[in-house]
Amino acid sequence: MNGIRKRLVGACAVSVMALTSGAAMAQSGNEWTQYGGDAANTRYSTLNQVNTGNVKDLKVAWVHSLGTLESQESTPIIIGDTMYVTSSTGPRYVFALDAKTGARKWTYQPEMPSDYMATVCCGLDNRGVAVANGKVFFGRLDAKLEALDAKTGKRLWTVTVADYKKGYAITSAPLIVKDLVITGMAGGEYGVRGFVAAYKQSTGEQVWKTYTIPGEGEPGNETWKGDSWKTGAASTWGVGSYDAKRNLVFWSTSNAGPWGAQTRGSDSSDVSQYPNLWSASQLAFDADTGKITWGYQYTPHDAWDYDGINEAVLTDLTIGGKSVPALLHADRNGFFYVLNRDTGKVVAADPFVTVNWATHVDLETGRPVEAPNNEKRPQLGKWARNVCPNLIGGKNWSPMSFSKQTGLVYIPAFNMCMDIANREEEYTPGKFYLASEFNLAMGGATGSHLAEFIAWDPVAKKKVWTIEEANMWASGAMTTAGGLVFYGNLDGIFKAVDAKTGKVLWQFRVGTGITQSAVTYSIDGKQYIAVVAGRLKGPPSFFGKIGQKMMEASPEGGILMVFAL
Amino acid sequence: MFVKSGMHCISRVAIAAALVVAPSFATSDDSAARPVNPYTGDKPSVQEGGSLFNQYCSHCHGPWAEQGERPRDLRRLRIRYGDDAITMFLTTVNEGRLDKGMPVWKGVLPDDVVWKIYTFLETVQDDE
Repeated sequence: MNGIRKRLVGACAVSVMALTSGAAMAQSGNEWTQYGGDAANTRYSTLNQVNTGNVKDLKVAWVHSLGTLESQESTPIIIGDTMYVTSSTGPRYVFALDAKTGARKWTYQPEMPSDYMATVCCGLDNRGVAVANGKVFFGRLDAKLEALDAKTGKRLWTVTVADYKKGYAITSAPLIVKDLVITGMAGGEYGVRGFVAAYKQSTGEQVWKTYTIPGEGEPGNETWKGDSWKTGAASTWGVGSYDAKRNLVFWSTSNAGPWGAQTRGSDSSDVSQYPNLWSASQLAFDADTGKITWGYQYTPHDAWDYDGINEAVLTDLTIGGKSVPALLHADRNGFFYVLNRDTGKVVAADPFVTVNWATHVDLETGRPVEAPNNEKRPQLGKWARNVCPNLIGGKNWSPMSFSKQTGLVYIPAFNMCMDIANREEEYTPGKFYLASEFNLAMGGATGSHLAEFIAWDPVAKKKVWTIEEANMWASGAMTTAGGLVFYGNLDGIFKAVDAKTGKVLWQFRVGTGITQSAVTYSIDGKQYIAVVAGRLKGPPSFFGKIGQKMMEASPEGGILMVFAL
Repeated sequence: MFVKSGMHCISRVAIAAALVVAPSFATSDDSAARPVNPYTGDKPSVQEGGSLFNQYCSHCHGPWAEQGERPRDLRRLRIRYGDDAITMFLTTVNEGRLDKGMPVWKGVLPDDVVWKIYTFLETVQDDE
């Protein structure tokens, strides 16, 4: 059905390295309190009422229309018996719903300017809210951060985080840390300069703001050619993670801008002088001051739009008998990283999809070793052909999940390559600044399928099983103590899978494409599973013939589906 | 203002423009006032325009104008607008459609770049 084939890569991988979960990290139970389920972004729930034995009986409990028609990417937040969920385009709506019945408690509509759409690159999405201390916080596509009263939906404050007319936007949910609400920003295709900023939850007053690209006179500024640091992107459009024990906030950065790397340094794989810090990097910030504690660059002198923004999942792994405070990250560049989150040192980096732009990551230097002779690096006026992964990456923003039950990471991945060349281009504020030409209408890197859903062993460093998806885009993942992993696809098929074996145990057609992960919660002893659906529109627009196929997979939509036994 | 650039080559291609842009639509009385693409049918301009299109437009309109979102599909300009395609194209590029995500390109892209992009688009128009 739907061209999906399953392949066991080596079921129940036996590993000499045992695995423990990060005891310090909170995890989801009855409530789903934050974007990634917990501050560690594991998207793992301890609920097990719905499990491998009975998931076949899952039925629709209630349905809610999100009121807009594209790119539904919100993660619902459930506190007590209230669910907070946003719609795309703005957001157009913030809803507070009775999590048991779907009845609306309140609806908030932000006052959005009519022209913000012309400075948002890749889809008019909103990934949801953060809730703390009786307040609901969310970012807007016009680069504002807003706070509402969680009970009434009344607006409490709005602050301008950046100027949307220059290409800044906010797409992802903010991060709650103590009395702060911390947000990243988007705009990596508009020549912005990235930052992370923290505000007081009570008033919206800014507490700290840290640029991801060092300014003049600061260490790292010399890694940019000339004034290129001013428009070097390194935006922070993904989500943050928080380690309370270490008081560290983890956020990572986008592509360097513009994509045409000759503007920022060398026009070759010799990246040593101009690696462009901290683009395409993982950063650790002191939560109170915003000071950068350490940085690790995934893709030095990026020329492929390999954003490093994918989520950092925090857990402790036992590797070779030693407990490692790990940060797990599946990068656009195709490598799955295990970093030591105390030091930022790379512990492991292994390809989880077909990778040919680099042969491997040197664990001593921490740097990728690029394919020889600039073969896979686009240069000014010179095409790099058949570069894998393509610019959508081995994985994009759709979140992975780490199951504490199986010790595996479940990754929505892509199986595609591209041709790409650099061009000359002048920077104009508020206009696309890519200096690049690309062709993405190519077949799968390995086999004809365009996406896959992978169970990955982060200790043994290998795939355990894979479900191939014929069309592009497997949605984000959610794992439970019921032995399940949930995910969906662009055709709008929502699936429950046996987390150990990869066997699909249940599926349901929701009518429009799914990209975000599901969530789960429990009220009055009953477990619910909720997922938003609404086929994306941005990426298909630049994917040529594959884009046409994506659009044909399902119509636009805006729907929140909730299931229970 | 767009007809200013490349005026020197207008004489030969003006007739071709009328033919290529809208062969199957009746010409209205004000056709003389319509802008004329100075590069229509010029092969090097088609090629250059395709590359420029990919650089500046493909993020929303697809490489080589190939993608699946009907309202953004520029291979359907002729079907959609007939004789007015060229005017609609220039107006939209110049003034943008901010509430639909189309930026203002006036003052950013030189006239001849815009014309070459249109020259490319003329060669990829769908019939139905």
